[in-house]
Order: sequence, then structure tokens, then C-alpha cells
Amino acid sequence: MFSTFDIKHPDYVALIEPDNAFWALVEKNSAINDKFVNAYKNKAEKFSDEMQKLRFGLALNAVYINPTSRCNLNCVYCYIPQEMRKHGDDMSRDALFEALEKLSGYFKQVMPENRLPQIIFHGAEPLLVKEVIFPAIEKFQDRFRFGVQTNGVLLDDEAIEFLTVNGVGIGLSLDAPIKQIADKTRKTWGGDSVFENTIKTIHKLKGYDGYNVITTVTKENMHCLCDMIDFFHELEIPAVMLNMVRCTLPGAREVKPDDYEVAQHFIKALDRTHELYKKTGRKIVVANFANILVSIMAPMARRLMCDISPCGGGRVFFALAPDGGMFPCSEFIGLPDFKGGNLFRDDINTVLQSESFKKVTDRKIEDIKPCDKCAIRHFCGAPCPAEAYEMNGGMNKIGAFCEFYEEQVRYAFRLIADNIVEDYLWSEWDKDTVTLFEASALNRL
Amino acid sequence: MKNQNQKQTQKPKIISIRKSCSADGTGLSHYILMDKKAKK
Ligand SMILES: C[S@@+](CC[C@H](N)C(=O)[O-])C[C@H]1O[C@@H](n2cnc3c(N)ncnc32)[C@H](O)[C@@H]1O
Ligand code: SF4
Ligand code: SF4
Repeated sequence: MFSTFDIKHPDYVALIEPDNAFWALVEKNSAINDKFVNAYKNKAEKFSDEMQKLRFGLALNAVYINPTSRCNLNCVYCYIPQEMRKHGDDMSRDALFEALEKLSGYFKQVMPENRLPQIIFHGAEPLLVKEVIFPAIEKFQDRFRFGVQTNGVLLDDEAIEFLTVNGVGIGLSLDAPIKQIADKTRKTWGGDSVFENTIKTIHKLKGYDGYNVITTVTKENMHCLCDMIDFFHELEIPAVMLNMVRCTLPGAREVKPDDYEVAQHFIKALDRTHELYKKTGRKIVVANFANILVSIMAPMARRLMCDISPCGGGRVFFALAPDGGMFPCSEFIGLPDFKGGNLFRDDINTVLQSESFKKVTDRKIEDIKPCDKCAIRHFCGAPCPAEAYEMNGGMNKIGAFCEFYEEQVRYAFRLIADNIVEDYLWSEWDKDTVTLFEASALNRL
Repeated sequence: MKNQNQKQTQKPKIISIRKSCSADGTGLSHYILMDKKAKK
């Protein structure tokens, strides 16, 4: 029943039940005994039920709203097509209010009362239409948790004041600690740098715990991920993401890093977060990696939904275009085949069940080769469907970074083996969890 | 150093942990991170 997975650790090897994501790290000269196997068997059904719920039973809880498809920048890897970013349309204030009313009504039916659904104002560049989104945040702030993902160019003092006073989550994008490298991927249409501006904004946000920075990892910046961590730590940014570039569109593929090489740089950067923590007592959490650790130790407690199949696109969240077009995820917004309907005209549940959405929500790792035989298939998820479809020729193909995800999971298990996992996670990550299984407790019996 | 040695001798033969919670539905894609309602 268990698959063996070599985690490249001197003392331990992993045994994994891929279907329910149960695992054990076993000392190389030991073996699991009957007591252990029986204890596992007693819980196996519960583990399977959990995975079933996580993969097929969650309700919608968030919407990415693109209040404009225009952008003031022209980043080389952007998943929103250039044409759209140059000449795209905006959502009017009335339309946004109407959308939020409709969504609020829907969420009331599907979410528990004590939880607020999330609305993220997202790409292209939402702050181009501040006058549309800020009044909406004011009016609907009791009904949603709001976040804004922005390139930061228009994040002036007034905007910062508004967003921080209202407790809005702010995501900024920065690809390198050095101008020359950052400018290789993120710049204006005229080719000008926005580096200094972004740094200034980051300084202004210091002390606000609702903000974070996303670094998109490409062949241009993978060599400086460690420096990036030093830089972020110095600026006291509590959490960052180091996201592999999604290779859905051709522009992104041009800056795709080598799979194995990027994994080594990524792991060095994670090591660096640990060194800094030990040296200063202050953590910097790489959230996309922390999510992998959580998905291994408490699958239901994960926060990001790219590394499970089906991914969160089209079932846990969807993306809304300025004209009301509904797509399973922002990643699909440039692919008309994936438009499932229109929020202003269609019933939300009908769109969630549409053929376009089902292409994504039915994408199961069991149907993908070689993932169907892979031990870590529920700690990876074979992201991303958009990438698989556009780059590798079909929904049931792998994404662009198979080897990277494997190395990432190996590293995560090594941290567990070395008992230093907590150093990589936000404090109280397991506050709302209960322990279902613990080998050390069995030994005490 | 002493601590490290202690840790060494206590190395378990098997490590296995599984925690659970009710999935509260806060999942997002990798395009944003929103941890909690932030107030300055
Ligand atoms: C599309 S932007 C929209 C919001 C805003 N304009 C910004 O740049 O932050 C959202 C995030 O996606 C990232 N992004 C864009 N294209 C990407 C790709 N192909 N793969 C991975 N991340 C990408 C950006 O760097 C940014 O952090
Ligand atoms: S990543 Fe953001 S800032 Fe860059 S082009 Fe895309 S939408 Fe604009
Ligand atoms: S895997 Fe791709 S489509 Fe799915 S949620 Fe992540 S970015 Fe979106």
C-alpha cells in the first residue's frame, strides 16, 4: 500500500500512501511494525474522506475581480495578453456594485455565517481605477474581506492611507533586490524602470501586517533569490511568495528557468530564511513553500490551492473580467475557451457547472501521466492546468515544473526529519487543528 | 551542543504526523496571499 519516496536524507526515507496523503518517515535501518500499520488502518478512511472533501467538496469562497484589463506596465511574463492590457476596458462603479451585491447574496447561501468571503482586486492593474474600487471597499467592507494585488506604481500616500485604515490586504510585486535584474522582467510600456518606486512603497508599508510581496521566479532572477530573502528580511516583510513563472503564454516561456536548477536556488533561499531566523529571531515565511509543509502535515489547513488537484480554480474561487466574464482563475483570463458565463446575466451555480469550468475542475491527477503513479501527487497537484493546456498540449498533461515540485517536497520532508519545520511556518499555523495521528504517541502506548 | 546531542540520541525511528481541521474555505491561488484581516 505504501510507496517509497527517497527524500535525499542521510537517515530517513519516506513511505507514502499517495491516495490519502498519509506518510511516515522511517529510519533507514528500521521498518514499520504491525502496531503502526494497524493504527494507520484505523484512521485510513478518515484520511481518505478528508482528501475527498478537500478535492471535491469545498464551496466557493473567493473571487478575483479584474476591475480593469488595462495595465500601466508591460512585464515580459504577464499572463494577461498584451492587447488586453493595452486597449482593455474598465468596470464602471455601478457594475462593480452590482457584481458585489450579487456575489454577496450568493455567498450568504454557501458560506457559514461567521466567515467572510474574500474579494481580491487583481490584474491587470487595479489601482488604475481607484475611483471605482475604493468606494466599493467602503460600502461592502462588512460583507467581504478585501485585498488588492498591485504593481505599486499608483500606490501613493493617499491610497496607502485608505487601504491600511480599512485593513485591506496589499500584495506588491518585486522580482529582484537590484534594479538591473528587476528591470529585466518588470517595466513600463516605454521600457522604464519602476524599481525605485516599488522600493519606496515597500518602505512606506513597513509595520503594516496585511501586506506581502510576490516575486515571480524566472531565469533572470533565480540566481539572486538568496539576496532577495536578505533584502526582504531587512525590510521586515513578514511573508513573501517566490512563485515559479507560469508558462501559459509564450512570453513567459521565454524566461522559464531550468526546472532542476531553479529548485536548487529556491532551496538555498529557503535555507537562508532559516539562517536569518536563527541569527535574528525574526522569521520570514516563504508562503508558497509553507503551504507545501502544511499540505503534508495537515492537508485541510492549506491556504493556497494550486498544489492540489483539482486546483482551486473554478471551484474555490473564480476570476471576473471587467465585462462580467467569468473564468476559472486569473490564469485563464486570456483564453476565451475558458469563459464559463457572465456574472451579470448568468446564474453563478450554472457557470460553476459549465463545460468551460468543468475542464478545470475535473482535472484530476489520477488522469495525468506520470502523476498517476507519483508518490507525492497530493503535495504537488501538477499545476497549472492553464499551463498544461497551452504549453504541453492538453488538460491531462503535466505542467512546466515537475522536477521542481519533487525537489520542493523532498526538502519539506527533510525539514520534518530534522525537526525544524516550525522555523519555516507562521506562528500558530496549527492553532485550529487537531492531531489525528502521531507516531511518537504510538511509541508511548 | 548539549542540546544537539540530546536531540541526536532521541531521534525517532518513525516520524508521522497528521493534523486536521475543518477546511474553512480560505483557499486562494498563488497570485495573492491574504492571511488575516489586517488593521494598522
Ligand atoms: C498579473 S499581476 C496583477 C496585479 C498587478 N498588476 C501586479 O503586477 O501585482 C498578479 C501577480 O501575478 C504575477 N504574474 C504575472 N504573470 C505571471 C506568470 N506568467 N506566472 C507567474 N506569476 C505571474 C505578477 O508578477 C504579480 O505578482
Ligand atoms: S504583472 Fe501586473 S504590472 Fe506586470 S503587466 Fe501584468 S498586470 Fe501589469
Ligand atoms: S493551478 Fe493555475 S489555474 Fe489552478 S489555481 Fe493555480 S494558477 Fe489558477
